Amino acid sequence: MQLFDGIALAMVVAAGLAFGVGATALARAEDVKALYWLVVGIVAVQSAVQIVRPRGA
Amino acid sequence: MSEANGGAGAEDADDARRPSPLGRIVDLGAAAQACIPGLYAWAVTVAPVAWGRGAPLLAKGTALMGLASLAAALVLEHRRPDDAPRARAVAVWGLAATSALTWALEPSALSLLRIDAARGFAGMLGWAVFAFACAAPPVRRDEANDARVVEGPPLRPRTRLAQGDIVIISLGALIACTLQVVGWRSGPAERAVLVRLVALACGLATLGAATGVALARHARRVPPTRGERIRRVIPWVTLLSVLVVTRIAFLVFTGK
Repeated sequence: MQLFDGIALAMVVAAGLAFGVGATALARAEDVKALYWLVVGIVAVQSAVQIVRPRGA
Repeated sequence: MSEANGGAGAEDADDARRPSPLGRIVDLGAAAQACIPGLYAWAVTVAPVAWGRGAPLLAKGTALMGLASLAAALVLEHRRPDDAPRARAVAVWGLAATSALTWALEPSALSLLRIDAARGFAGMLGWAVFAFACAAPPVRRDEANDARVVEGPPLRPRTRLAQGDIVIISLGALIACTLQVVGWRSGPAERAVLVRLVALACGLATLGAATGVALARHARRVPPTRGERIRRVIPWVTLLSVLVVTRIAFLVFTGK
């Protein structure tokens, strides 16, 4: 496993954590907090995919 | 060369002889086959009642006794295959009686207000399949006909899934499953549906990203340079950093 794979995997885990916090906040009707964490999760997922994407894909 | 081919052939034959998961279920006895839908029916209709709000301890005990009766039927049938009808009776009457006791101890859990349509339908289906599996004769492998089957060469996968891929995809699946645990007791129905939808979408996104990371390890025919990777990821990492810094600033200024 290369360094970038490890970073991407860490970002996937971070995205999962952010999604978890966001969904919990949404269940507690804290909409702004939920929106923030869901956006953080989406950005983290996108970063993870972009960092391992092969050239030209 | 021929020895190598012979070794590969023997390995293929071993693979072909190895029973599939479905084959293993078919090889089980009648009570064991019935235990699978019994376990499902128990999980959908008995366990939520026994572990619901305000359920007495005795209800949990009777529910666990239902599981124990299924296990006892399995053991009985495994040790004494000739006693299969008795094992089946233990599974049917044990599970039905203990489930009835559990429901009797917490009758309010079965009211229409506390059972949604989907769970009620799933439970009805589970009990129907359990009843059918108990009443129907067991499906057994026909040894006489097996001898007449001419086995062709077994299908071989073009490649095997790398061990690292399994770990990465399992991690993504674990996160996706964990997200489904969140928010089952959120207030109004509209909010609960929204939480479920969001959790489902988040789980799919996480699983998709994990799969993408795993597959990208094998798709590097033209690996990108370090600079290219960094250039590509910089906008997203910057956005992520801005979000994190905004959050920290918000916490600092509001004093929380």
